[in-house]
Amino acid sequence: MELLRQTYWLLWKDVRLELRRRESLMAMFFFGALLLFLFQFAFEIRPDRVAEMAPGLLWLAFVFTGTLGLTQLFQPERENSCLEALLLTPFDRSALFVSKVLFNLILMILVESAVFPLFAILFNLDYWTLLPSLFAVTFLGTFGFCVLGTLFSAVTLNARARELLLPLVLFPLLIPVILATIRCLEIILRSGAWSEGLPWLRLLIAFDVIFMTAGYLIFEWVVEA
Amino acid sequence: MNLRVRQLSKAFGSQWALQDISFDLHGGDCVALLGQNGAGKTTLLKLLSALIQPTSGAIEIDDVNLAQASARVRALVGYFVPSAHFYEHLTVKENLRLFVALYSMHNNGTDLDDALDRVGLLHWRDRFVSALSAGMKCRLVLAKWLLVQPAFLLLDEPYGPLDGAGVDLLESFVSSLAQRNKAVIIATHQIPRALALCSRALVLNQGRLVFDGERHEAALNLDRLVGSLLPRGKQWNS
Repeated sequence: MELLRQTYWLLWKDVRLELRRRESLMAMFFFGALLLFLFQFAFEIRPDRVAEMAPGLLWLAFVFTGTLGLTQLFQPERENSCLEALLLTPFDRSALFVSKVLFNLILMILVESAVFPLFAILFNLDYWTLLPSLFAVTFLGTFGFCVLGTLFSAVTLNARARELLLPLVLFPLLIPVILATIRCLEIILRSGAWSEGLPWLRLLIAFDVIFMTAGYLIFEWVVEA
Repeated sequence: MNLRVRQLSKAFGSQWALQDISFDLHGGDCVALLGQNGAGKTTLLKLLSALIQPTSGAIEIDDVNLAQASARVRALVGYFVPSAHFYEHLTVKENLRLFVALYSMHNNGTDLDDALDRVGLLHWRDRFVSALSAGMKCRLVLAKWLLVQPAFLLLDEPYGPLDGAGVDLLESFVSSLAQRNKAVIIATHQIPRALALCSRALVLNQGRLVFDGERHEAALNLDRLVGSLLPRGKQWNS
């Protein structure tokens, strides 16, 4: 109960700061839209190849956009030594992890909600009936990205050139979640059914559960190191 | 409550910031921490508040090693840094509400207003911290610790941005803490003020504790201990 209360307050703080500064959300949205336009100019996707190409391109846009958000995730704590102020309080350090994952997830879902329709229009996608399935898989993939991204954003918090270091450390570890999400989306777009994609879906859920649990357990050492 | 420091040392790379520091702090103590720039005052305060870990030695609060203590034990120590430790784009009241919540303290909003009123910031409660002057931020820090009331309060150069009324507020708060059996350490270059307020002095020189004693002893030996703290050619007039 205490963890939930502390998570609420930390999330409340991040949402308020974002509503006032609007730095991360606006930058992420414009970067995501820009990537889609670049993809549109670079690739000419034939209608019969949409199911094959779309998930990869869409997820590249999501991953790059999300990484931009991750570099700013702990910026409020870096300014004015606010992390020190937080660490002086007796709150459960895992609450900071959970709140940052949730905040990052909210940002990503907002950006994806704007980027996906834009992608559908630019690439003439007509899969609106599959939207619930596509959303479910995208949500699981996004959650995995946010969990691992938050953890490594905290690991590189005090590193020099952290904006360069973060993608170098993060991207190799994200391969399972990116691969599983893209394969799942591809199968849903191709066949419209879940059944074939179940092994990938299991991998995605396992990834999310394992890294969420690991992050929750080790975050105290990460943030206080 | 007692705080015990034993053979505490801290190195940054190959550079020793503190070496072999030992002293005890008891409830009700008010201690001036003196020393020239780079003597290790801030490093010592950060070690005592568990924001950094020692290279060797130990800090114990009531026989519990601070390095292995839970966050709840470590939160017994408050660290007062003027003009820092607040989110600039939250309002004065939002900042206080956040930190009070993280200290698991319950408030009905009146406590916050009372604390802000005491430090003269009540009319600024809905303004962003970024809009405050350095002195006002220092008063806000004071309001936070008025609410939290830590068992040990460590103040790092608290006088700098404060005006006369702010200094009076700060000193009355420090005195009230000591009277309620809480311990205070003030790291400062304002030697006359610190020695008037505190009963004891610790003097650091190049990372070593060169003096630990009563304030009048410190005043008598100050030229010898920290002569470089005084303006060129001046002597300490006790």
